[in-house]
Amino acid sequence: MHEMSLVSSILDIANEELAKRQLTRLTRVVVHCGQISNVVADSLLLCFEVLTTGTPHQGAVLEVVNIPLSLRCRHCGQSFTGEGQESLWLPCPLCSAQCGYDIVQGKEFFIQQLEAE
Amino acid sequence: MEIPVIRNVLEANDKMAAQLRDIFATRGILALNLISSPGAGKTSLLERTLTDLAPEFRMAVIEGDLQTDNDARRVAASGAQAVQINTDGGCHLDGNLVMQALNAIDMDGLDILFIENVGNLVCPVEFDCGEDAKVALLSVTEGDDKPEKYPLLFNLAKAMVLNKVDLLPYVDFDMARAKQFSRMANADLEIFDLSCRSGEGLQAWYDWLRAQRAAKKRG
Repeated sequence: MHEMSLVSSILDIANEELAKRQLTRLTRVVVHCGQISNVVADSLLLCFEVLTTGTPHQGAVLEVVNIPLSLRCRHCGQSFTGEGQESLWLPCPLCSAQCGYDIVQGKEFFIQQLEAE
Repeated sequence: MEIPVIRNVLEANDKMAAQLRDIFATRGILALNLISSPGAGKTSLLERTLTDLAPEFRMAVIEGDLQTDNDARRVAASGAQAVQINTDGGCHLDGNLVMQALNAIDMDGLDILFIENVGNLVCPVEFDCGEDAKVALLSVTEGDDKPEKYPLLFNLAKAMVLNKVDLLPYVDFDMARAKQFSRMANADLEIFDLSCRSGEGLQAWYDWLRAQRAAKKRG
């Protein structure tokens, strides 16, 4: 349950970007969230509401876009789309090896876009 | 007004972690981030390690807990430096907290820094603390399916300690299963079966620490 600190970081970054442009009110934030980033979108939305209530950003919309998991097999070196965390120990669908994967994509968590006035 | 901006939400943490990594590299300090569920034995492992390796290494510990300084007092009894961080409900340590704690540590001649994270198998994995390696701890009084349920930690860890093996006759923990799934998530994972209580298996863990420390010293 680290969503509160994540939302707090989102708002720090947003406030910084708004200040650069002399904007004061955030209206929309789009974040991209990797499938196994251990971020719960519902908690994120709740924390966002809690932390913006009573601030100039109250009512701003947080949009969470999922980034699918992509794994590269440490045996055959090929990449494939994983289903979820269990893909980390399931056999490689391409060569059947079970020796672990490098996570190509699916752990990221970044702000893609802000809208403000 | 639309502002196209791609910024990593954890950028502030990653920046802090990079600074920590620089400090550790410059000083040749091996930094290990210990991650487990509450009660797996992180503090017990540190008590044994700090006591047994005291003649060889200068070591320090950063203790993360929601409340109390019980763990810092336990490990400080070994003579090692210990700094307690109370996260007041926070579920993980982050780069910023570790940097603050580091200010209270005398790093001159320090060989190994242990970061004992808050007991939790999920959130601490997400926050880089500038460590050289994450060490996952699992104890045989837990479920042997932890690596299946929380594979990310085992995928990212360099070593896994399987603690409390002296209790194996009394529990249904399947060592083979726990190891099998850990290795399927990470074939390179070093695994140490040990008991902090009986002392069995500790030597292999110490040898690994010596090797990691020597590698760090070489740079």
